[in-house]
Amino acid sequence: MIKFHPTKEMLKAFSAGELPLSLSIAMSAHIELCDDCAEQVKLIESSLSDDTWESNLLEEADFGDMLQSIMNEEVIASSTYVNKAKVKTKVADQEYTLPTAFRQFNDLKWSGFGAVSRARIINDENNVRASLLHIDKNGQIPQHQHKGYELTLLLEGTFTDELGCYEKGDFIWLEGDVDHSPYTKDGCLCYAVQDAPLHFIKGMSKVLNPLGNFIY
Amino acid sequence: MIKLVTHSTDYILNTPNNTQLDQEQQQINDWLRLVATKQDKKAFSMLFKFFAPKIRNHGLKKFSQESTAMELVQETMMLVWRKAHQFDDSKGKASTWIYTIMRNYSFDMLRKMQTNKEDLVSEDLWPLLDAEEESEEQDHLQSKQLLSYINELPELQKQVVEEIYINEKTQQELADQLSLPLGTIKSRLRLAMVKLRTKMEEE
Repeated sequence: MIKFHPTKEMLKAFSAGELPLSLSIAMSAHIELCDDCAEQVKLIESSLSDDTWESNLLEEADFGDMLQSIMNEEVIASSTYVNKAKVKTKVADQEYTLPTAFRQFNDLKWSGFGAVSRARIINDENNVRASLLHIDKNGQIPQHQHKGYELTLLLEGTFTDELGCYEKGDFIWLEGDVDHSPYTKDGCLCYAVQDAPLHFIKGMSKVLNPLGNFIY
Repeated sequence: MIKLVTHSTDYILNTPNNTQLDQEQQQINDWLRLVATKQDKKAFSMLFKFFAPKIRNHGLKKFSQESTAMELVQETMMLVWRKAHQFDDSKGKASTWIYTIMRNYSFDMLRKMQTNKEDLVSEDLWPLLDAEEESEEQDHLQSKQLLSYINELPELQKQVVEEIYINEKTQQELADQLSLPLGTIKSRLRLAMVKLRTKMEEE
């Protein structure tokens, strides 16, 4: 059972196409796993659509021969549509099928650091990093704080931290002032988006701050 | 960081989904169905008249640039024309379907403006629902079948399809190569496509 969901504001922003790609991927993947949010998005799209088309005060505009040129285009209608296949990826000897939102990323490069493996998804947005993270069984990430926000979408497996116990599909949003140390008994695969490096705060694990930069 | 949508969607989230379309919505659905089934130009002109100024308006608000707003109109309406047959009438309002096409295209445009990448990722974020996922086997079967249909085409049409789709020549290159007017190439290709489509649909 998925217990953690995006807020209604995030669902709206996603449906309006206003979230950056890194977060849009997380929203799309969560919606693929969560029927409730998928249902909400349908209603939100319908309402955004009504708002958009409602405008009556419009400037006159000259569209030239746009209409004609579109209708000159030949239409080849096929009666069946096929989606591209989802991406499969192999990490720590296991194969995972990724949600549709990851279809573009068919050449993931995993690199490891102890129990943690990472594959970069996005690094071209301002100050934001998005990666797939794989944590092996019994793996733990030392207690850390986030300077900005951290979004974790659990794609496979389970993990726990001070705040709860998470399952496949859970959408976990943390703001800067929370610190936590995730632990996974059976291993897990997550998609993580962060807008500032992790910062380890506890004793010896401070020496692990390079790990924070790695995960980030 | 996240720009919140200011429109109120609460009223619709708290009322039962009303599947009864009002008159205007029904009219839009009817036009789109005519475009889908008959490529009806009159119906498409009506859709264009209704939506083009509104899309431009939306594009101007979003991009603050006339040329980009016009590109959004052009591309959205082009996709409506080409993909009308994909709209499933029983699933709701045609106007919402058109909204999602515009939303997807403007997401890709924005990403292109910001990162200079043309990765057209919107179709992965908002995948076509209910579409079957391709399997390697299916893909293989389809290509095999299609190749056999191409082989059955009259020689002149077969040549055009092979040169353009398999050897990836442009229509102009092929016209030069065969010393034929471009129009002849175009019409042969069109005839061939109609035949192939009929074959594929007969299955």
